[in-house]
Amino acid sequence: MEPENKLKFSLNIALVSGIFCITVALLLLLNFMQMSKNKPLESKALTSLVKRLSQEPNSDELKQEIRNFDLLARKAYFNSQWQVKTGGYLLLFGAIVFALSLRVFIGLKSKIEEPDVKDENDLTSRIMTQRWVMITGSVMIVLGLVASFASVDHLQKYDVNESLAETKSIDNQDKVEVIKVGEIPNATQPAIADSTKKLVAGNTAKVDTSKVKATLVAATKITFPGSNAIKVNASSFRGPFGNGVFFQKGTPVEWDAASGKNVIWKTSVPKKGFNSPVIWGNKLFLSGADQQSREVYCFDCNSGKVLWKQPVDNITGSPATMPKVTEDTGFAASSLTTDGNKVYAIFANGDIICFDMDGNRVWARNLGLPDNHYGHASSLVMWKDKVYIQYDTNKSRKLIALNASTGETVWETARKGKISWASPILADINGKFQVVLSTDPMVAGYDAESGKELWSVDCLSGEVGPSPASGGGLIFAANEYAKLVAIDPSKNSKVWESDEFLPEVASPVTANGLLFIATSYGVLACYDAKSGVKYWSKEEGPGYYSSPVIADNKLYTFDTSGKMRVYDMAKEAKLLGEGNAAEKVTTTPAFANARMYLRTSNFLYCVGKK
Amino acid sequence: MKCKLMLDRYLQMKNWIKITLVFAFLMFNLAGMAQKQRFPKPEFGTGYSQPTPVTPEPRALALEYTDVVVLLIVLSLASWFAIRKRSRKGLLWLSVFTLLYFGFYRNGCICSIGSIQNVSLTLFDPGYAISITTLLFFLLPLIFTLYFGRTFCAGACPLGAMQDLLIIKPLSLPEWLRKTLGVIPYLYLTFAILFAATGTDFIICRYDPFVGIFRMDAEFHMVVLGIAFILMGMFVARPYCRFLCPYGVLLNWMSRFSKYHLSITPAACIQCKLCSDSCPFDAIDYPTDEKQSKNTKWGVNRFLVYALLIPLWIFIGGFAGSKAHTWISKANPTVYLAELLLSKPEVRNDQKNLDVQAFLSSGKSLETLVKEATVIRQKFYSGGWIAGGFIGLVIGMTLLGQVVYRKKNDYQPHKGNCFSCGRCMNFCPVKK
Ligand code: SF4
Ligand code: SF4
Repeated sequence: MEPENKLKFSLNIALVSGIFCITVALLLLLNFMQMSKNKPLESKALTSLVKRLSQEPNSDELKQEIRNFDLLARKAYFNSQWQVKTGGYLLLFGAIVFALSLRVFIGLKSKIEEPDVKDENDLTSRIMTQRWVMITGSVMIVLGLVASFASVDHLQKYDVNESLAETKSIDNQDKVEVIKVGEIPNATQPAIADSTKKLVAGNTAKVDTSKVKATLVAATKITFPGSNAIKVNASSFRGPFGNGVFFQKGTPVEWDAASGKNVIWKTSVPKKGFNSPVIWGNKLFLSGADQQSREVYCFDCNSGKVLWKQPVDNITGSPATMPKVTEDTGFAASSLTTDGNKVYAIFANGDIICFDMDGNRVWARNLGLPDNHYGHASSLVMWKDKVYIQYDTNKSRKLIALNASTGETVWETARKGKISWASPILADINGKFQVVLSTDPMVAGYDAESGKELWSVDCLSGEVGPSPASGGGLIFAANEYAKLVAIDPSKNSKVWESDEFLPEVASPVTANGLLFIATSYGVLACYDAKSGVKYWSKEEGPGYYSSPVIADNKLYTFDTSGKMRVYDMAKEAKLLGEGNAAEKVTTTPAFANARMYLRTSNFLYCVGKK
Repeated sequence: MKCKLMLDRYLQMKNWIKITLVFAFLMFNLAGMAQKQRFPKPEFGTGYSQPTPVTPEPRALALEYTDVVVLLIVLSLASWFAIRKRSRKGLLWLSVFTLLYFGFYRNGCICSIGSIQNVSLTLFDPGYAISITTLLFFLLPLIFTLYFGRTFCAGACPLGAMQDLLIIKPLSLPEWLRKTLGVIPYLYLTFAILFAATGTDFIICRYDPFVGIFRMDAEFHMVVLGIAFILMGMFVARPYCRFLCPYGVLLNWMSRFSKYHLSITPAACIQCKLCSDSCPFDAIDYPTDEKQSKNTKWGVNRFLVYALLIPLWIFIGGFAGSKAHTWISKANPTVYLAELLLSKPEVRNDQKNLDVQAFLSSGKSLETLVKEATVIRQKFYSGGWIAGGFIGLVIGMTLLGQVVYRKKNDYQPHKGNCFSCGRCMNFCPVKK
């Protein structure tokens, strides 16, 4: 071909391929606009069909129609996907032809020219190069140094925290703050006498002696309550022994915070906290905390008046700053426990404190800053002379028993497994009390006296929030993404398991051969406790954080929006009544004196038949 | 008259080019975006169970070996075309084949450039075994280069081929700019090795600007990058090869010692200067200017200063690298996750953060994660010293190179920088 013709030819090809590219590009653009406008599965027709289906759920015709529609939409989608892909290839092909013809064209057009005299002066250019290379090198070095100052090494901080917590916990192991006391009258019980002797041994705090004397007199008279006394009170988180079953009669099934229906009183709690009320007699206990301080409150059950309010401070070994906790855990997530003589409270920084029923401080100590990425949340539970703490941190897992009178560590059982946020419960197994704990990977029972592990079944995983439940000789435990299991502790084995509905926060509860599970996505399910057969499930409300509990042989549930639903303890779902707190509820209600006590985000309610 | 017409047309053409380019650019982006749209999984109320996703089988071993054989053949042909046959056309068509085979058919993977990372990972992680094909892809081009110059770049690298074919009007860049930008490949190489050796990421693959085009599927920003490189490459010839390619660094070193290298003239240079502007990559060295290289006193002083400064550059570079290790190591997913969980514990509630959720449901404790992260960060610390020191050395050596004069009498390709593309040969009037 003549060069002239070649030139023309390549130019024409370039033009044609250029136009081709633009056309394809336009088509692709159109296709893309269409695709992004119409979401195939959100078309009006389809939504209205689905809506209709919810009204007439059994219409097979409608179902078929939806399927056809759905198929069509999917076909259309993949069709346009195919178009995009093909269009892409066409475009690429066009672009290549375009580029090549253009190359040829430009190549042909350029003539051999007389080479320019090299205008770059070699020396100046070399100097310039040196300058720029030096600048580049220096900039990189400066950037490196700046980066080192601008970045925080969180990992190292973590280590520092860790070792801090570690050393502190070692230091404070048995350094119990003890209040100075006078002469002790003869003790009635040998165990008490023993512990009170230790009380005398230390003398640190400056406390009004008259008050202390009174305390001491009371202390000497202590007889720890038996299980019957515990059962008529609400001594721990989720009631007696932490098991979720309240032995009360005549509890209300209807109330409304907004209209005041069945609200006997309502009061605000000074400081925030996600702990649930614990009650003994006429006294209700809560705690509250923030970055700055921690407090324990005692309310009068009849009037809602604050009977006393005590700061939690001046504790040896307590860290100067509070640890990092998440918003929805806070610094006072753990519920208190009481034996009717004293009340015990634990906080996110590892402070644990004991007051008598009148608000006099009895002992306090710090267990070492817990390394817990949400914040310590496990509640306290007690039996006889021991307060049990599931003290799980990222560093170590322990079950600690403290002497209720002195705060000294009676024993400490190291556990394998991972950190958990569940609370311990006490289960009466063959006439002996065991402390039962849920953790990843195991549910295990420990002798309440000695702390010895009696049995352990590997069945859970993940970050365990729900506490176990006991009833009918079985232990029930569950966690989201894991399983719901029924364990026979005497045989150390699983009886049944299921993974259909799993709770994330709310604990299971069992009574009368029924087991209830409340999930964080709003399903309440009822099982046969012995066999695991599901009787019913119901999806209602935004989800449950508050644990379902049983009182007066009825199941009480609170969803996170604050709606209460009361169900019959039966094999069919039967709603007995409803209530509404009209604000967020994540705590668990307590029942006492035929009344229900509920802590919401902002208030404490007493609900009962007026 | 005819000429004028031609010129008018040409100018018209220029506008067309612009419009087309803009559109092409747009379109590639759109195509990329459309690819990313994901269709929700259908929900079946019936007994249908979703098939579990499976990982595709690795390429059959026989086919992997085919790739090696193809590479070997292409390399041999390229070297033969460049050195014996002296055929630019041959190299051109070879690169078209490479683009189609290694680029579009093999989707830009397996690739010698990326193999650097596999090699580094094998060297540093005993748990990782490199496949023999990957090793060959890494070694063969280097060996060929040691004998024949960068004939790999001329005919066997799909990335190079892509750029080479799209050169339209190359501009000559001033030397200072070339030399300064020339530091980037060293940086890239250093980071690629550091990240591969610590098991952090294969950045060469992740940021390969052309792979999205080969596969017709990429993330939006990668498509943009690819198009940007192509557009730039029309005027700045082979921008990736010259100012980014980490493998190019190794090839450059090898090529400097190459036994046989492409020469512009088949016989003796007659100093006609016809080839002087022929290299789109500014890779031709001109004969040394006697006057300037005579200016020795200044040169010797600078040489001494720069030579003495090299250890200092190495030390300061290493120091800065080690200092920056905390920051750099955040690129590691384990370190990142651990730091995120420590500094913002509330992310645990973020259902949308899949990494965090995956970690939580894995049942691994934070403690183990932090321990792992600390080990990795420690590696970054030592890696930071080495990487920083190396970059310091590169800076020092580049400076030193600027005050060293080597006597050259003829127009010659710069052995390190020349891609052996063969363009310049056609300009030489001397035939045999
Ligand atoms: S410099 Fe790198 S990208 Fe360019 S041709 Fe050579 S190996 Fe390929
Ligand atoms: S062969 Fe010639 S034109 Fe090609 S890169 Fe080498 S010097 Fe430049």
